[in-house]
Amino acid sequence: MLRNWLPFLIYGLFASGITGLMLFISFALSTRARTKPAQQGLPFESGVSTGAPTRQRFTIGFYLTAMLFILFDIEIVFLYPLAIVLDKLAWFGFSELVVFVGLLAVAYVYVWRKGALEWE
Amino acid sequence: MTLPLAHMLIVAPKREVWWIGAIEALVILNALLLTFAFMTLIERKVLGRLQLRYGPNRAGPFGIIQPFADLIKLVRKAPFQPDRLIHPALYLGAPVLSATMAFLAFSVIPWGGGWELYGYQIDGQVVNVPISLVVVFAIGSISTYGVLIGGWVSESKFALLGAMRTGAQLVSYEVALALSVLGVVLMARSLSLTEIVAAQHRTIWYVVPQIVGFGCFAIAGVAEVGRAPFDLPEAEQELVAGYHTEFSGMRWGLFQIAEYVHMITVSALMVTLFFGGWLFPVLHRFGPIWFVLKLAIVLFCFIWARASLPRLRYDQLMNLGWKVLLPIATVNAVATAFFVVLR
Repeated sequence: MLRNWLPFLIYGLFASGITGLMLFISFALSTRARTKPAQQGLPFESGVSTGAPTRQRFTIGFYLTAMLFILFDIEIVFLYPLAIVLDKLAWFGFSELVVFVGLLAVAYVYVWRKGALEWE
Repeated sequence: MTLPLAHMLIVAPKREVWWIGAIEALVILNALLLTFAFMTLIERKVLGRLQLRYGPNRAGPFGIIQPFADLIKLVRKAPFQPDRLIHPALYLGAPVLSATMAFLAFSVIPWGGGWELYGYQIDGQVVNVPISLVVVFAIGSISTYGVLIGGWVSESKFALLGAMRTGAQLVSYEVALALSVLGVVLMARSLSLTEIVAAQHRTIWYVVPQIVGFGCFAIAGVAEVGRAPFDLPEAEQELVAGYHTEFSGMRWGLFQIAEYVHMITVSALMVTLFFGGWLFPVLHRFGPIWFVLKLAIVLFCFIWARASLPRLRYDQLMNLGWKVLLPIATVNAVATAFFVVLR
């Protein structure tokens, strides 16, 4: 079983090696200006630059989305093993599935009615 | 439970040595890089033709060496970086992480039935594990970290906004994507992509019974790789580029590689899950050729969609993911489960 993962490791080493090499080559072969333009390192701004942002505040929606993602992604993680053995569990497994999805549907309707899925 | 047909198609293991896996890994990685390079060219060519113009045709005949010209330009760019980075190592590491994980996700995709050569067993995929479908999703999700780190570390308003925008989009569609393939898993009773391909050969291509799941997968897949009409991560005409605003040269190029390799991986996954993978009703011996042909068709559809469809607004994007695709995919999964148990 563990043997099957050895090619994965080798492949991962090659993949990181190739991407790392690309980065290295871009530094080795790149052109460099003799004097660095003064404005080059400023963060991008379409207008008058006020320098780097000090503190940023975000719409709560992003955080909510992240939490909802964790909730529903774990649901799917639980459903995968059940999906493989469902034909052996037959109707017992199916009823369990319906109960599980039903509970999540309640949570989903609650989240929807509360307006957590709205973006303006 | 072993199946006679699976035995016919997948040759029993004979002698497996680690360096065959290493050679396969190198071949596949280089094939991916080459596909990426020419995808950039083909995309521009096809987009050009669809918009009644020529596309790149200056570098070599039909612009065939344009990708290499682009590569040289990217490599030669001055390696400047923003003055006020949060951490230089993270700034350089983010694109490398993104691209590496994009490559790694492809490693479990089967592209052939396996061959026996001089007594050595050559597998039809680099990594043959029983949970390969989960591996694709797991590794693919790590790429999101590259995006978030890249946007956050460059300490710029637009990069940070773009990273948040992209992160929220990717995690939203991850849910719909993972749920839409649940029907396929239910029908094949396996998470191994090799097994799913074999199961489709025994019955029927899953695009027929799982047409709803396929629709969800196609939409969520396009959104997951951030391609038009869901290309809000870039949105170069309306918004500032996004998480890679402060990246240039090859560091930007690595993000680009990640995006294209993701697109290839999702296309390959679509072929494997819904269109019978490397198998075709006739001429099994040409497994990889069928695979590449199917892959090419799906990739063309990606470009076609980019040329034809207008970009969604951000609230429309989130609504589609959470309020449309998620319920449909869930209902599809439960309905599939019902029919699987009924049979």
